[in-house]
Amino acid sequence: MTGTWWLVVKRLAAVPLVLLALSTMVFVAVRTLPGSPATGLAAGGSSGTSSAADITANTAKINAALGLDKPLPEQYATFLGDVVHLDLGSSFYGGNDITGLLGDALPATIELTVAAMLIAVLIGMLTGILAALRRGTWIDTATRAIGTVSFSLPWFALGVLGIVVFGVWLRWLPVIGRLPNALDYHPLTNFVLLDAILQDRPELIWPWLQHLIMPATTLALSMAGFITRIVRASVLEVLGDDFVRTARMKGLSPGAILRRHVLRNSSLPIVTVLGLQFGSLLGGSVVTETVFSYPGVGNLLVNGILQRDYPIVQGAALAIALLFTLVNVVVDLLYLALDPRLRKA
Amino acid sequence: MSGETLLEIRGLTVGFDVPAGRLPAVAGVDLSLRRGEILALVGESGSGKSALSMSLVGLNRGPGAHIGGEVLFHGRDLVTAGERELRGVRGKDIAVVFQDSLAALNPTQRIGDQVAEMIRAHRKVTRGQAGRRAEELLGEVGIAGPAQAARAYPHQLSGGMRQRVMIAIGLANDPAVLIADEPTTALDVTIQAQVLRLLTKLQSEHGTAIVLITHDLGVVAEVADRVAVMYAGRIIEQGTRDEVLFDPQHPYTMGLLSSVPRVDGPAVARLPAIAGNPLTGVARPAGCAFAPRCPFAHDACRAEMPPLRRRYGGTAHVDRCVLDDAARTRARGALEVLAP
Repeated sequence: MTGTWWLVVKRLAAVPLVLLALSTMVFVAVRTLPGSPATGLAAGGSSGTSSAADITANTAKINAALGLDKPLPEQYATFLGDVVHLDLGSSFYGGNDITGLLGDALPATIELTVAAMLIAVLIGMLTGILAALRRGTWIDTATRAIGTVSFSLPWFALGVLGIVVFGVWLRWLPVIGRLPNALDYHPLTNFVLLDAILQDRPELIWPWLQHLIMPATTLALSMAGFITRIVRASVLEVLGDDFVRTARMKGLSPGAILRRHVLRNSSLPIVTVLGLQFGSLLGGSVVTETVFSYPGVGNLLVNGILQRDYPIVQGAALAIALLFTLVNVVVDLLYLALDPRLRKA
Repeated sequence: MSGETLLEIRGLTVGFDVPAGRLPAVAGVDLSLRRGEILALVGESGSGKSALSMSLVGLNRGPGAHIGGEVLFHGRDLVTAGERELRGVRGKDIAVVFQDSLAALNPTQRIGDQVAEMIRAHRKVTRGQAGRRAEELLGEVGIAGPAQAARAYPHQLSGGMRQRVMIAIGLANDPAVLIADEPTTALDVTIQAQVLRLLTKLQSEHGTAIVLITHDLGVVAEVADRVAVMYAGRIIEQGTRDEVLFDPQHPYTMGLLSSVPRVDGPAVARLPAIAGNPLTGVARPAGCAFAPRCPFAHDACRAEMPPLRRRYGGTAHVDRCVLDDAARTRARGALEVLAP
């Protein structure tokens, strides 16, 4: 067990390094975007009748106010120093504290991606196992065909299709946001399910699920198609393993063999893929959150980029990176839990 | 050793669909297994010995597999029995000890659980009872520190230990028949001897009939009561151990015996090998399947498959060879056959 904990420590120790590298890249990347926050602010200021000279003068003033007139190394040092103190700065627009913005947005994104992951794993595992057990039949062929199609569908297309069908035509589901505006919700943790339990307000859950189901499913479907393929291949491989023959020799029922021997062993490659796929899920959440006006980190990021709001882009990117890194630490731990061969005493 | 017949195999055929057609892995085998005996099934890879034994409990059933003939066990035909019925026989009445214990054990399950699972598949006992019985079994097969071994995972044990675990699993429900598929192949010589001693001990103590699949005639000499030699899906010679090892009748058996290294034999640079390769394709010759490789073959060999019957050997000794007694003696001389 000590070996396992040592591995955990090693994995966690790498997280700050990853974040340092990433924050550097984001710092540089936002500043290479064409246009600057100051020109945007200066042009959009007052009544929009500013002359070219006014804009130039205002730009200089704004740059000085935001600290953007300082040399890049100095800006970088300030940024890193602030990040270490968990201060991500404040938005160029409106001056909102970014840690506060992320405190609202990150739980929303975690809810969305985790829900999408659960849906994708559920669909992917069921169809993948079914396809493997009915290998070579029409069920197998159909499952794989549908999987490939869903895998190839872009998120925005699925999202818009969902909005049109379930939101506009059928009017079954809300198409915007995370909770109805009219709802009286005072966030405690900002995780709706958790708050519903902590604040004893079960009536929050249903509207929350209604808002969550469509964006989550949109995100999940393309990933589900991918998981189907991985699960099918993995289950087929394990079904051919010698220990499955041993299980049959014992006189176990097919269900027991599947549960106790096949699933555990075929989950190893699946878990690895899930961790990596979580990254593309986060990427997809940026698109999906925009389509559904879902108040998550992706939405924050897109607006930040459009407005050249450097602190927001930096903060949102860091938050997403942190999430991805932590998920993969969890995946590594899951891997250790699933495969005793990887635990070194 | 001449107990009642436990398992009666009649006209067993096993064919597998391959791209070239249907591969006749077992091409008609009649064989009986008596209570408490050790029957060695000997042959090269691809001779059909594993296909034969796996089909006894339907472990090679599946798409592309065609099993025919009869396997009678307690008045039931296991070839035509349904999967549900077979599940009641597998692991309870007939168990298998597989070779390559590392692959045959589930890498993610503790040893004790894998033994206990076999017990719980056929008996209504609690998890705790099955776990305690599993530890007892691990002790019975000679594992030192069975409680510790029960908590270990397969990769944490040595090859010899794992093979003992496989045997413990095989014995968990005290089966009437134990099929041991090359149980000592991957083990070094001292461990081999220990495992063989364990098998004979179990056979004498529990009265378990053992089908020992092997290509190692040394193993046969050590433990077998009777021997059936397989070639190209058929039994080509069968008899008591002494009959087959000391008085081989079929040139193929002679060839196998002459290719066994011997401590007391003449020092030779290279052991004699049987020329040619075993039949692996779907096509089979009309006559004796060994004729293409047999140095003593003549026209009569290629006419038709000789039936398996007693010719010149002992009372229980049968073979599929058309050579007369004098030719057989010459063949034994030419191959310098010495019993192992």
